[in-house]
Amino acid sequence: MSQTNPSQDIIGQPSNRSSSDLDDPAPPMISNDGVVAIDITQKFLSAAATLEPGDLIKDGYFTLFEAVGALEIMDPKMDSGCLAPGESLDEDYDVTRPLSPSEVLGIIDQLLCLELAWNLGYPLSQTLLTNVYIEAMLMPSPVTIGEADFIRNRKHEPRDPMFAVLRAYCLGLLKCCFYVNERIKFEHYYEEEDFVTNTYHRSLLDDIDREEIREEIMAARRLLHSLRQDISGEMADALGFRLELRAAFLRAIELSDLRSNPESLSLPWSQMKAVWDTINKSRHLGTPVPEAFSTKIQRKLASTMPPRPIVQPSFEETYEQFKKLFADGIDVLKVLNYVDSQSLLNFVLTFQAQKPQPLVYIRTLLQSFLFKDMIVLGHLSIRQVVDDDLAIVVLPASRLLDPANDIVEAIHDPRFAIAHQMEQFRLRAAQSYLDIFRAFCQNRCRVRRTLCHSIQDWETVQVDAEEIDTLLQHQLEEKPMPYQTPLTSTPTSSGSEPLAYALPLSSWAYLYKLRLMEWIVQLGFELETYQPDELAGMYWYLSHLAKTRAQHVERIKVFTVQCMNEQRTNSTLTAAGEAQFTRSLEYLRVTILDAAVTWELADSLCCLYTVLQRLRLVVAPPRPYSTDELRYDIRMKPFAAIGLPELPSFDSFSRATAQPESATADLLEYAGRAVAGARKGYEVLAKLNEGDAFTAHSHARWLAGTKNCLKSVIAVNIAISTVRKVMGGLGRGEGDAEAGARLKTEVPRPDKCYHDWWIVPKVSEKK
Amino acid sequence: METTGRADLPGELKYVQYEHSLEAQYLPAIRALISKDLSEPYSIYVYRYFLYQWGHLCYMALDPVDSSLIGVIICKLEPHASHSPPTLRGYIAMLAVSSPYRGHGVATALVKMAIDAMARRNADEIVLETEETNVPAMRLYERLGFLRSKKLHRYYLNGNSAYRLVLLLRPIDPDAAADLSLDDIDLAPR
Repeated sequence: MSQTNPSQDIIGQPSNRSSSDLDDPAPPMISNDGVVAIDITQKFLSAAATLEPGDLIKDGYFTLFEAVGALEIMDPKMDSGCLAPGESLDEDYDVTRPLSPSEVLGIIDQLLCLELAWNLGYPLSQTLLTNVYIEAMLMPSPVTIGEADFIRNRKHEPRDPMFAVLRAYCLGLLKCCFYVNERIKFEHYYEEEDFVTNTYHRSLLDDIDREEIREEIMAARRLLHSLRQDISGEMADALGFRLELRAAFLRAIELSDLRSNPESLSLPWSQMKAVWDTINKSRHLGTPVPEAFSTKIQRKLASTMPPRPIVQPSFEETYEQFKKLFADGIDVLKVLNYVDSQSLLNFVLTFQAQKPQPLVYIRTLLQSFLFKDMIVLGHLSIRQVVDDDLAIVVLPASRLLDPANDIVEAIHDPRFAIAHQMEQFRLRAAQSYLDIFRAFCQNRCRVRRTLCHSIQDWETVQVDAEEIDTLLQHQLEEKPMPYQTPLTSTPTSSGSEPLAYALPLSSWAYLYKLRLMEWIVQLGFELETYQPDELAGMYWYLSHLAKTRAQHVERIKVFTVQCMNEQRTNSTLTAAGEAQFTRSLEYLRVTILDAAVTWELADSLCCLYTVLQRLRLVVAPPRPYSTDELRYDIRMKPFAAIGLPELPSFDSFSRATAQPESATADLLEYAGRAVAGARKGYEVLAKLNEGDAFTAHSHARWLAGTKNCLKSVIAVNIAISTVRKVMGGLGRGEGDAEAGARLKTEVPRPDKCYHDWWIVPKVSEKK
Repeated sequence: METTGRADLPGELKYVQYEHSLEAQYLPAIRALISKDLSEPYSIYVYRYFLYQWGHLCYMALDPVDSSLIGVIICKLEPHASHSPPTLRGYIAMLAVSSPYRGHGVATALVKMAIDAMARRNADEIVLETEETNVPAMRLYERLGFLRSKKLHRYYLNGNSAYRLVLLLRPIDPDAAADLSLDDIDLAPR
């Protein structure tokens, strides 16, 4: 949080100072036409004298924010000008002192650590801007490449070779930082949470041309080559690789704007990846120069903040994180190979689910690939992606998506109305749809928080879509068909099934809303939001949502098959249409499978946790200030306003979770059957190829996740068997209490589980 | 009181509600105690912001012998605007117990007093943030009935994330559920 000056509307009298200290100096003489100056010093002092130390006079607009922003003069942690006795205000480091090659290497390697810290979210003031060479290079702000040097006004004497190398490195570094900063600022991110874009009025070589910088780097590399004899080939290589890293980084950034031809875009990233290991192996050649880094430089920055400590990760961490950054840089480019909308979604989901999550630069790069200039992946209109998705999910080979509708001019032609209504729908839904992708580009905490808002939005998208569905039914002269919703199985008076319309657009919206709701619950597991005694309930709710989704997709499928059969019957089904139906039915099959395994695994975990609670192996804390119902209100608050699916009442939730009518042994048996079903499903999923799974270009990540789910299934099965074994060995008259006494349970943290979304308890027999 | 009879505690602690007249005697000690756990100190205005307006929601645990400060809790209670209709929201801003006296329920006793005081003043809910690494604090609050409602990424200056903990004291008005946000922006001191 940036601190501001103490606000004027507060008078807090310092507690240990008498008012006489304030008599000096005399008020300035103010004379100006139209200004009548009145000296209120005495009035002020006498008013202030009536206050006790610590009295606070403030208006209603003085908030906690102002209070936190206020500074205390002469507190070294708040007052940037406050010096310790004998301390100098400025750094006394001499940037013109000669540097050995190994010192240059040491400085560069420390800069790498600080660059990483900045990428991790720490401000420039505590990272790169603590370096004296960078400060000298940036102040005063250079306008030409010649001025961009830490030694200015160098008449005509040639630059010392080591200075030339360090300068070229810093030029490349700062220009990279400029581009990284601009990219992040341009996309959606959270300032101070993900990243600090503040440059404290330092220009990161904004106006210096990239080509000129590249030439300086190349020149320095040539120079190093010529120095091989003098400074050793090993040292020359070590420095050269670091310069190569800078040049490649600049090139990678430059190419990323193209958003096409991912193969060639990945070349500089691969180069960085390759050179990075060599850099790591040569860092022992460097000599640290800690005095070239100082917190005092912060006093010169445009900030009222007193100097804060330098944030410097270890080189080991720097190595690992940059290695991941380069790998992610290569990986993220694959998103540009668009295959279909569902593969795109799976790419984003699996890419962002990685642990650790890609750094914010990569996440904003992904956003720019997805959305820049309203062109998806550099070559697709938003409509193309939305229509592709509608065709996969609900409208294969549909008249509604026929581009020819757009050119119909006869207003009485149904196609004219269809084109208009579909455009209305796209206008309504496209943003919400793209927001899903955007949301998943945020940090994981924000993903969940954003989705909590998105489901409200999708609730209204669904309602609006249903209105448009109704209009379209009319245009299409759709005949309702008999369809029995599994949830509302009230037979009609005639005994036949009720009639229903396909409602494709609202079905599409409802499917997304359901997925969002599941993700919110699943991210709750991942982010450790739930306490152990909440897990039974949350897995029950997850299974409830997944079951609802499975039923909903079954419904979509019924109408899709019906539609396909109709087209076959009237011989309007083309080969292309046939392919679309096949693709859609494959998608629906996979989605039903995915929903089914989620519901069955969640169901089995719900039962298992309920059993563990009965056995007193998972115990709720006393909570004297709360009730189960009040906590249910809080926990389910994001879902409370959703009409469909309606949030279960607290009573039905409690009954469904605790299942008081079922014996413990029955719960275990049921859990065993559910987990066996989940196992079969996951095994089928794990065998799908990327075409059938809709995981083009992310199949390996998706498959790894699926296999981790399968491992979770096995772990659940083991836990169930362990409890069953002990229960089976109980003697006459023994029950849950005795079984619990023979077992112990540990609820692991998500990062200790096979999968972040499946918190499987470790149950073992006591020795 | 759960602190009674512990050998390490100097007898039964005195629990005192803060009032403005105690500033000279206790504010320096309060600042010192709380600053120990902070990477960046709060200015005096932050303390006065809370203590001057909600001194009645601040409790101190004192040594029975020399009345020195062992623990303190600082809160506020205000209508929370981003809800419709607004809720009366209590906020636990700071809680600290001198390290030699931890593990004796002093913090729990202070939190209970603060909750009781806010409940008496008709608070609808009480919220706070706690560092994700601060397991003892989370356990303390969760034992009393708080729930983690959301995780806040890199919430603190040291780069650590936080959890928002919520204790609901009375049911949410179902008609007010139009505000779904878990996301009310609370500006909490970091």
